[in-house]
Amino acid sequence: MLSADEAADLIEAIASRQDRAAFAALFRHFAPRVKAFVIRGGTDAETAQEVAQEALVMVWRKAASFDRLRASAATWIYTIARNKRIDLLRRSARPIDTEDWLVVYAPEGEDADKSVLAGQTYTRVKELLGGLSADQLVVIQKAFFEDKTHTVIAEELKLPLGTVKSRIRLALGRLREALEKDES
Amino acid sequence: MSRHPAPEELLLDYAAGALPEGLALAVGLHVVLDPEARRTVDRLNALGGALMEHEPEAGLDEGAPTEIALERMLSRLDKIAVEPRPAPFVPRPGFEWAPPPLARYLGPNPRWRRVLGGFEEMRLAMRGDSHRVSLLRLMPGRGLPVHRHAGTEHTVVLQGGYTDETGNFGVGDFTFGPNSEHEPIADPGDPCIALIVLEQPIVLTGPIGRWLNPLVRRDWI
Repeated sequence: MLSADEAADLIEAIASRQDRAAFAALFRHFAPRVKAFVIRGGTDAETAQEVAQEALVMVWRKAASFDRLRASAATWIYTIARNKRIDLLRRSARPIDTEDWLVVYAPEGEDADKSVLAGQTYTRVKELLGGLSADQLVVIQKAFFEDKTHTVIAEELKLPLGTVKSRIRLALGRLREALEKDES
Repeated sequence: MSRHPAPEELLLDYAAGALPEGLALAVGLHVVLDPEARRTVDRLNALGGALMEHEPEAGLDEGAPTEIALERMLSRLDKIAVEPRPAPFVPRPGFEWAPPPLARYLGPNPRWRRVLGGFEEMRLAMRGDSHRVSLLRLMPGRGLPVHRHAGTEHTVVLQGGYTDETGNFGVGDFTFGPNSEHEPIADPGDPCIALIVLEQPIVLTGPIGRWLNPLVRRDWI
């Protein structure tokens, strides 16, 4: 396993000295996970492989855009892989800005006091996932893994839309409460 | 926190990458302009990252073990440079109200087009998106023709503000309907500029407006 700090160090090593060994370590850890994540969403293995590889190429190219104070390595790579997947499925001529503008654009100084918690936030989110009920977890997983809107999730789970919405709200509410307790 | 936030489920769809392009743009602009929405999306992205990292290693197998894929990748990287950190975003002169996710949709020569009814419109081209995505500009004190929505309309205010029967909306505010009929009036001050994402053409309901509906349906106005 790779800790959040180790992963962030590796990305910074690419940014500062084009460190190929650092890239190899990131590739070994993340490429199979990105691929598994994309396959779980219903994408075929070949496309998923392409998403994983192209996402890791972006990790190399955009390493200097990574800011460990704003997002954990896994969060950053998740957003890159998400965007790559959309690009590949659309075969679009105009790719989504892969340097996530949330990271690049967020006004200087704003949230500065909270940004130092990015790594902690990530660790807490991981812990909290275990604390969700099975019902809550399933709607969140469906939303993330399968890129489905809550309307589609409701149809699949054969639940009224209102029930799916309230489960999502409950699950997100629990995460938010726990994180805000940490931040305050 | 904005007085009119986007619903959390929509932020989740956004963070999961499940929204069509036009709607993703609307939510993205709200997220850029509203610190509370940004914090929520940061957390949702962290949740996505945690779920992804939690995946058991499937291996890049399928005839290409991770180590072989890695070897190929490393030889590819010989020709790919690590890019320098991008310069901070600089707003385009005359388009200071257009934050980054919108700026790249504006093209080399963006122009407002006068529309019957006293407002101006700039259509934005989306790929494979059934939504009609436009910027609207309304001078202070002017109103949009009374209309109701055939489908859902999503609005994000980018400059100025407007008021209708349901309340007052300022920069960063996000609203969506189908509402009953409404008649937004631009607030005093800067012209009101908003991004509008429409699922289906609007239906004009005023005494003159209703005669224009065939033109709206054909996308002529």
